[in-house]
Order: sequence, then structure tokens, then C-alpha cells
Amino acid sequence: MTRYLWRAAAGHLRGGFALLALSALGVALGVGAVLSIRLLNQGALGAFAGTVRAVSGEASLEVVGTSPSFPEELFPAILAEPGVTAAVPLTRTEAAVEGARPPLFLEVLGVDLFAPARLPFEGKELPVAAALSEPGWVAVGPELARERGWRVGDRIAVSSGSRRVTLVVGGLVDFRRLSPLASRRLAVMDIAQAQSLFGLAGRLHEVDLVLEKGASPAEVASRLSRRLGPSVRVLSPEQRVSEASGLLAAFRLNLTALSLVSLLVGGFLVYGSTQAALVRRREEMGLLRSVGATRAQVLALLLLEAALLGAAGTAVGIPLGWLAARLELRNVSGTVENLYLLEGIEKVSLGAGEVAVAAGLGLLGAVLGALLPALEVARRDPRSLLASLTLEERTSRSAAPLLGLAVALVPAALGAYAVLSPRHPWAGFVLALAATLALPLAAPCLVRSLSRLPGPRRFSAGYGARTLPLHLTSSAVAVGALAVAVAMLTGVTVMVESFRDTVVDWLDATIRADVYVTTPTWSRARGEATLSPEVLRRMAATSGAVRVDVVRQTFARVRGRRVSVLGVPAGAPGAEGRVRVLGGGAGAVFGRLASRGEALVSEPLARKAGLWPGDSVRIEGPRGEAAVPVAGVYYDYGSEAGTVMLDLATFARIFGAGGPSNAALFLAPGVAVEPAVGRLRAELADEAVVVRSNRGLRAEVLAIFEQTFAVTRLLRVMGLVIAVSGVLLTLLVAARERRAETALYRALGATRLQAFLVFAGKGLGISLLGTLLGFAGGAALAGILVRVVNRDFFGWTLELHWPLSALALQALAIVAAGLLASLYPAVRASDAPATELSRDAL
Amino acid sequence: MRSSLPLVLAAALAGQGAQGPSWTAAAPGYPWSFPRDHSSHPGYRNEWWYFTGIVESEPPGRRFAYQLTFFRVGLVPGTPPFASAWAAGSLLMAHAATTDLESGEHRFSEALYRAAPLLAGFGAPGDPLLADCPGPPGTGGRWEARLEGGRFRLSMQDRRQGMALALDLVADGVPVLEGPGGLSRKSAREGFASLYYSLPRLATRGTLTVDGKEWPVRGVSWMDKEFGSSQLAPDQAGWDWFALRLSDGRDLMLYLLRRRDGTPDLQAGTLVDRSGRPTYLGEGDFRVRATGRWRSPATGAEYPAGWQVEVPAAGISLRVRPWVADQENRGGRGPHYWEGAVEVQGPLGPSGEGFVELTGYGEGNRPPI
Repeated sequence: MTRYLWRAAAGHLRGGFALLALSALGVALGVGAVLSIRLLNQGALGAFAGTVRAVSGEASLEVVGTSPSFPEELFPAILAEPGVTAAVPLTRTEAAVEGARPPLFLEVLGVDLFAPARLPFEGKELPVAAALSEPGWVAVGPELARERGWRVGDRIAVSSGSRRVTLVVGGLVDFRRLSPLASRRLAVMDIAQAQSLFGLAGRLHEVDLVLEKGASPAEVASRLSRRLGPSVRVLSPEQRVSEASGLLAAFRLNLTALSLVSLLVGGFLVYGSTQAALVRRREEMGLLRSVGATRAQVLALLLLEAALLGAAGTAVGIPLGWLAARLELRNVSGTVENLYLLEGIEKVSLGAGEVAVAAGLGLLGAVLGALLPALEVARRDPRSLLASLTLEERTSRSAAPLLGLAVALVPAALGAYAVLSPRHPWAGFVLALAATLALPLAAPCLVRSLSRLPGPRRFSAGYGARTLPLHLTSSAVAVGALAVAVAMLTGVTVMVESFRDTVVDWLDATIRADVYVTTPTWSRARGEATLSPEVLRRMAATSGAVRVDVVRQTFARVRGRRVSVLGVPAGAPGAEGRVRVLGGGAGAVFGRLASRGEALVSEPLARKAGLWPGDSVRIEGPRGEAAVPVAGVYYDYGSEAGTVMLDLATFARIFGAGGPSNAALFLAPGVAVEPAVGRLRAELADEAVVVRSNRGLRAEVLAIFEQTFAVTRLLRVMGLVIAVSGVLLTLLVAARERRAETALYRALGATRLQAFLVFAGKGLGISLLGTLLGFAGGAALAGILVRVVNRDFFGWTLELHWPLSALALQALAIVAAGLLASLYPAVRASDAPATELSRDAL
Repeated sequence: MRSSLPLVLAAALAGQGAQGPSWTAAAPGYPWSFPRDHSSHPGYRNEWWYFTGIVESEPPGRRFAYQLTFFRVGLVPGTPPFASAWAAGSLLMAHAATTDLESGEHRFSEALYRAAPLLAGFGAPGDPLLADCPGPPGTGGRWEARLEGGRFRLSMQDRRQGMALALDLVADGVPVLEGPGGLSRKSAREGFASLYYSLPRLATRGTLTVDGKEWPVRGVSWMDKEFGSSQLAPDQAGWDWFALRLSDGRDLMLYLLRRRDGTPDLQAGTLVDRSGRPTYLGEGDFRVRATGRWRSPATGAEYPAGWQVEVPAAGISLRVRPWVADQENRGGRGPHYWEGAVEVQGPLGPSGEGFVELTGYGEGNRPPI
């Protein structure tokens, strides 16, 4: 018997190859989507963690500045602290390599070369004298040196803020020997050089501490924190990585949610194909049962087949996922760098753990997908298996209860959301999941309703569509899968468009100066990359200039979050134009920034930290905690972590004196902007600055935005491919199953064209229904994503925008793809000659 | 000649020197002037202040030996012109050791920092500070050598090792120039030499902490000061050095350089009579023969232990014996070496006490000077 089972399985594999290939593809795409996102998510954190490990690998504690540097006078006290056996002082500078396309930033560590640091220099002898005294001496990573063709002795022009610096390659330092994921951008120079060249005299960013055996890191950390005061924080390397992981949490979860939808669609496909295969093979199963196979044996046979299918799909899905991850690497890396200011991802690596997770998902998904139909077949007695149509009747009977379930999901999900949302920002995903699940549940009823269409006059496409309910199970599954994919596509499209439109409106309202000047390193170094006073002077002196506005920027902690803090000249005329305030009235609110030293908080920060007008925002600055009353909340889409906006005077009170991070120039009416940009660029040619027009800046912000959402494009396409394969699969099954039926039509005089059209009609019917249902679901999903998930999860209020023409185009494309997918099955079906007519079919 | 310049920086010091402003070479005719020459000489690459002594607690009469050394290791001449308090052209390395001559317990501690204002430095002539630096990380306190009111004031502490020194050394007497004009040659080849003087008998008192217990002590110390830019010739591996105070009031300093293959290379010394007048000893004027060996269980290095020292013309014949076998200084950051108190017995003449230094023993352990 067992031998028969194996042979039957093999025969099944041979017989239905196209069908199996398709369902394996479903598994493959689902697995691929999940795997690629997991790899990217891991890479996003891995790059940061790897770099921390390489630089501070042996350290048990790190003293880091709050603002983000601290006075070096604290170093001797750190060195003397009981329990410490080594203390390595560091400065960190993001240095933009001039002329590099795409932009390249060296992360220059200024290290005391004589402190007991673990620095993986290459070569036998470190030329200490040169490192100490040759201006600009730097050791760079070997990979980067190879890539850029740098050799020892080469000069590299870089900038930090508007300051230009020439580095001299003096050696190689390979942090990847210490941690394979360490950034290849790491470079090392002596601390004295680093402080001097990058304008950091008197400042340190970090001191890495090695503790003696038996010393408690927590105790040393708390003693040091007390002794050193508020300008530093004492953390373990693990704490630093987990803070970074907290920053990325929302971003990563969002991607994961999207990838899981792909898996869900893939699972549907497996369910559909198993169901379809069983419809075809029910007689075989009936025979098996009649000759003595037990229910358990039949169940085992079917699940084993599903597992084999899953294995095949996984085998394809793993390389696919890896490939997708590599394709998306640059986009995700850009987001991690631009939006979260963490280490960019340089490579993704496929570890054994990830392969295991992917294989587990693929196999489990396939087996779970097949479980219901397999149980259904195993439960039946041989007689009912041998009789036709009963299976379909059963599905037909359950269509209404399933729809009931779909309807019931709505209040259930709303209830769950109401309970969860106050404490869990991800509660919105419950609503999204419910909206997605409701679609396949509603599909059978929708398909059945086709039979209520008026009877067609001719034997053609309309007949094909109207007879879809006859094979309700497979058509409903195809419609359901397509609907889920379309809903995802629509929901995400609407969300991305809504986001884009909101951002454009926001940019229109807030980017109002004519010319913006910042530094190449600003995007990564913020408060540390400043404009020299000379730049401001020349901006003010350029012809046509009316006013120069400056912004100071730094990072600080608010209620345990790292937020961006802006200092703006709040008292300047028209300053309130830079924000839109929730509830309106920017003028009055802005007045309080200047007159009373109050703060504005961005909407994400207000929502996540619960800071509203009347509260006080407690900013942990280098001089301790400063409590600043909140004057209002403003819309901001630039930082998920949140932003606090202060008047420059308040900013200086909390963070001390310093240069601006960027400056904006207002031109007199009638002065042409682009020529002014050109003039200013020429006037500032000797400074490392980036001069952009209003339009240029806006284009750049939008480009960053596009990059952030680029990864959703691939997922959307993958979901759609899965769904369209579902249509193809269903029709292939139908073509095979209805061979006898088609033969009958042919015998009764139907032409091949008519037979073809009947099948094409079925394809069209499935595509139309799936798209229709998908759009309904997509609308709901879009509403949930835009109004609930974004607000709860990211703290952003978005305006719902319906990109109707784009959606219409998408709908057309989906229906066309569905129709295309039905061509081949239709041709196959129309091939059935009248001689295939069997007695059964009569 | 003294120094174990253990260093991380074997590499650092190799392969430099030709370009840029260069170091001053130790040369004949140096115009000595005290107290100016107690301070640092930044034009020379290396310099060290070496204090060793044998002291006795008051009262119960327990004996200890101590060592406190500050090394200046020049990396580049001058201070690089950077706007940073970390800009440094040299390093400061400090070694301290205590030996309880009764229990035989030997402790060693070391500190290494760049000579930069926040950390470590050397005083200019006129500044009472000779050298100072923080102790090893996590131990608190600063290590210092000062010259104030005619006294060297030494202090160090290492909480982790339970050791500390706070000693006053009376700096009287005329410094002994160790070699004609104070030039101490280290090789038959030209250019390998240092400028070298000693103060062999400094009355010492203060406190010594051993194993966490503080003892008031008094005794006698030997101060050595040497500076130069190039000492060890390429084919030399290390040296044996003796500083012995004899009971008849004479002081004897001897050094013997070894080649890398272990054969003797060059030897020289100074015998100082009771009035402080030196007699310079050359190749044929004295003999040193090892009478025993000691293998360090910690490093595996095998050192001579016990010597027969003869200076026939001066009627000196001495048996020199380590007070404690294990007085090996083992630090984390440089070569290990043996530096310890010795007893001197002269069956036919004077007896005495002193210190011996043995460097370059064991694999890959050549002092990088």
C-alpha cells in the first residue's frame, strides 16, 4: 500500500506538472517576499550592530555624549574610575568625500593610538611618526581603498560641515576582520589630528571602557553617570544596538507586514491548487479508499504531496528572496541612512537561520494550505468520492456562512482595535488583517451571484462567466487570492500617493525661502556639521538678498527617545510660515517661542510621547534636563522619531553656542532664483556647501520619499504575480476538468472559437470579480493604512488622496493580465475533440 | 645604562629618523649643569629617570626594595602643530615595583600614556615637576617625580595591586658622570651612546604600601638619569646592569651588553671612591661571571641568578646574590625584564647591597631602543 502511495504521488507529479509548477511558484514568491524583507531588516540593524562590535567590541561600557560630544576634561575622571582597566577616547566625524557619486561619507574615528584599543591595522608596522605628525594621515578600509583606487600616499579631499580637509592615505585598517558586518566606510586617524582637522578641539564623542573581571558593568555605569553629569550617557554596546533597533522598529514591522501579505496570498494559491487537484483526483481517492486505503493514509498522501510542493517552492523561493533583497538593498539602505541616520546596509548575508525560517515557512504554508481540502477528502466515504459534484455542492452551501463570517469580522476587528490601540501602536494592523481576510471569505458568495446573471443568448464568453459558480471552489479561491493581492496593491498605492500628496502640500507650505544652503555632511552629522560665519556673511551680501534665516540642529533625548531639536529665529518676520500647526494659528504659537521660550513639538513626537499644549517637554541636554512648555504641535513628515522646535535663544540656553546647520536665503521680489543659485555657488566655491533652489530642495526631499517607498513596489508586484498565477492555475484546472464537457459542446456543434471564448470568459469573470472585490477591500485597507496605521504607528496625519487614474490603469492592467493568463488554458480547452466525449458527461 | 624600554612600540620606533627634523645624538662635550639636567631633554629621543632603593620599616625592621621609573619615548621631534590637547610627540611610560624582602612578594605596575596635557608630561627646566602621569586605568591617583627644595619627591599608587609609594630622597652630593664627560658608549660602533649620570646614595624616607598595608620607611636610593637617541646597536640583544653600594663607601656601576647570539659584546663601568671621584672601567678592568640560573615560570625566560664580580685593580671581589629569585617585571604592554635587589658579600673585602637589571632574556624580548 505504502509503495502504491508513493507511486500515486509520483504519477500525480508527472501528470499535473503545469499546475504543480504554478502552485510551487506561489510558495516560492511568498517565501521569497518574506525572506527578502527579513534579510533587509536584519541587514539594516546588522550594519549598525556590526560597526559597534568592530569599534567597541571588547568594551563593556561606552561613555557617549548627549549632544553628541562632551568636554574632554571628563576623560581623566573616566580613566580613574574603579573597575576600569582600559579607556579609549574617540571622536567620530562623518566626512563627505568630495566629488563622489553616489555620495560617500567616511566615518572617521579619531582614536588615541596609544590607548589600548583594538585597531585592526594591516601590515606589520604602523608608521606611528607619520600618524602623529603628518597632517591628514588616515587609515582607510581595504575594500573601500580597492573600490576607489586609493593607494598609500594618495590625497582625499573631504568636508565636514563647510570645512574642507585634505586627508592622506597612510595605511589600511580592516574592521571587517573584527566584525564581518562592520561598515567599510570606517577610517582611523590619531585623535589629535581628528580634533584639529575637524574643528573638535576639546571635544570627545565616546570613550570605550574595558572593565576588570568581576566588575559589574551596571554598577560602574551608574557610578560614572553620577560622577560625570548630564553631558554624557554611559551605555553597554548592547544598549546602543537596542536603541537603534527601537528607532527602526516601526520601519521594520511595516515591511514585515507587507511581506506577510505576500505569504498569505501564496498560501491561498496552495489551498486553491490542492483543492483543484483534489477535485480532479477525487475518483482516484475514492478508488483507493474502496480497495482498503485508510483515511489516515489518504490524508498522509495528500499532505506529503503538499510538503513536496512546499519544498520545491522553497527551493526556488530562497534564491529569489536573496535576489530581491539585493535588488532592494540600495533603497532600504538609503532609508535607513537618510531617515534614521543609522549605518547604511552594505550587504545582506543569507545565514543558516534565515534559510531554516524560510524553509519552515514554505513547508508549513504548503501543508497548512492543503490541510483543509485534504481533511475534507479523507473524511468522505468512498461512495461520495466516486460520485461527481457533491464536493461543489458542499462549497456552494457554505458560501453564505462564509460571507457571514466576513461580515462578522468587522465588529470583531473593531472591538480588538478598541481594546488594543491605547497601548499597542500596531493595533491598526489588526484592522488591516481583518479587511484582508474578509475578502476570500466573501469571494464564494460573489462568484455564486454570477449565476443570477441573465442567461446568455450565445454560446460564448458570457456563458463561460455565468457558469463559473459550477466550479465554485476553485473559482472562489482564485477570486479570493486575486482580491487579496489587488487589495494590497490598491491600499498601498493609495497610501503612498496620499503620503506623497501630503508631503507635497507640506513642502509647499513650509519650504518658502528661495535658496537653501547646507553642507554635504549635514544629512548625517546634523548639529556637528555647521556652516562657517563666512558662509552666512557671503549669503547676506549676495545681490538680491533680503534676509538670511538659519537653523541650528542637534539631537537630544526626550522621554527616552532620540529626537531632533531645531533652533530657529522664531522672532523673525514671517518665521511662522515654516510650520503648519495642528488646529491652526501658527502666528500666535510662534510668538510664544520667541517671547516665552516655549517649544513646538512635531506631531509624531506629540502622539508617541503624549506631549500636547500645556505639557512640558523635558529635553536632556548637555547641561542637564531642561523643561520647556509646549506651545503647540506642528505637522512634520521629516522625522519619524520626532522633532522639537525652539527659538535660537532657547536652543543656545540648553545646548550652548554653536554654528547653524543650514541657512535659507530670501530674495527680493523679481530676482530670478536659478541665476542667484548659480551666483551663490560661485561665491561659495571655496567652502564645502550645497546650494539648492527651493525647487531643487523639494525635488530632493521627494526623491528620499520615493526611495523610502520603493521597496513596496517590489512587494506589490510580487503579490500581483502570485494572484495572476492563481487565475492561470484555476483555468488550467478547469480546462482539464471540463475536457469532457467541452467535448460535449464540440459534439453538439460548438466551434473551437466558441470553446475558446467560453474559457476566456471564465478568465475574464475571475479577473473582473477579483479586481472588483480587491478594490473594495483596497479602499478599506487604504483608509485603515492612511487614517489609522500611519497615525498610530508613525504619528503622521495624512490626507487621503485617491489617485483615480492610476488606480483605473492598475485595474485595467490586472484584468488584462487575468485575461492573458486565461489564453493558454482556453487554447488547451478548445483543443478537446468531440471524441473525448464520455458516458459520464452525458 | 638602564632601561628596559618595553614598549608596544617596537614597531613605532623602527624605521623612523631619516626625514624631517631629527633627534640630537649623544655626543662628547655635553655641557652638564644641575639642577637643569634633572629635567627633560626633548631634543633626544629617549630619556629616563630611574629610582631604585632598599628601605627598612621603622620600627620593626622589615626590609623592602622599590623601583619607580619614568621613561620618555620620543616618537617625533617637537609637538605636532595641531589644535588639540592630544597633540603629542612622545609617550610617557612609568614602571613601579615593590619587593617585600622578607616574604619574597614582588609586585609590578605600569602606566603608558601619550605626553599630552590631559594625561602625562615632563616639566621644563625650572619646573619642580620632572614627570607625571595618571596611574593605570581604574586605580586612581597620579604618579609623579618632582624636585623640590633639594629633594626628589616620588609618589605612585595602584589600588588594584595594593601598592603605593610616597618617598622623599635628599638630592645632595655631586652627580657622578657615568663615562668620560658623561658619555656612555654602548657599542664599539659610532653613534650608539647616551648621556648618563647617577646619584648613588640618596637618603630616603617616607611611606611604602605593600599588599594594602602602609609602612613608614627609611633607607637609601640610587638615582640614574640617561638620555640619548640611539642606544642599542642592531646586533645587540640586551644587557646586564649592576648598581652596587659597598660597605666601604665606594659605589660600583657595571654594564655588559650581549649580542643576539648571547656572546658578550661590550662592557664598561664606573667605580666611585668615597670622595665621589670616578674611575672609568673598560673591557679588561673587570670580570663578571654568572654563578646560577633562574627560569621564570611565568614567561619561560632564563636569567642569570648570582654572580662573581671582580675588579682586580681595586681589590674588589664580590659574590652578588638576588635577595628574592622572582623579581621579574611582567607588564601587559611591553617586554618583561628582571629588576631586583641584590645582596653583596665580599669574603675578602667590603660587602654591600644594590640592584641588578637583566634585559633581553627570553624570546622576542629585545628592548626597542
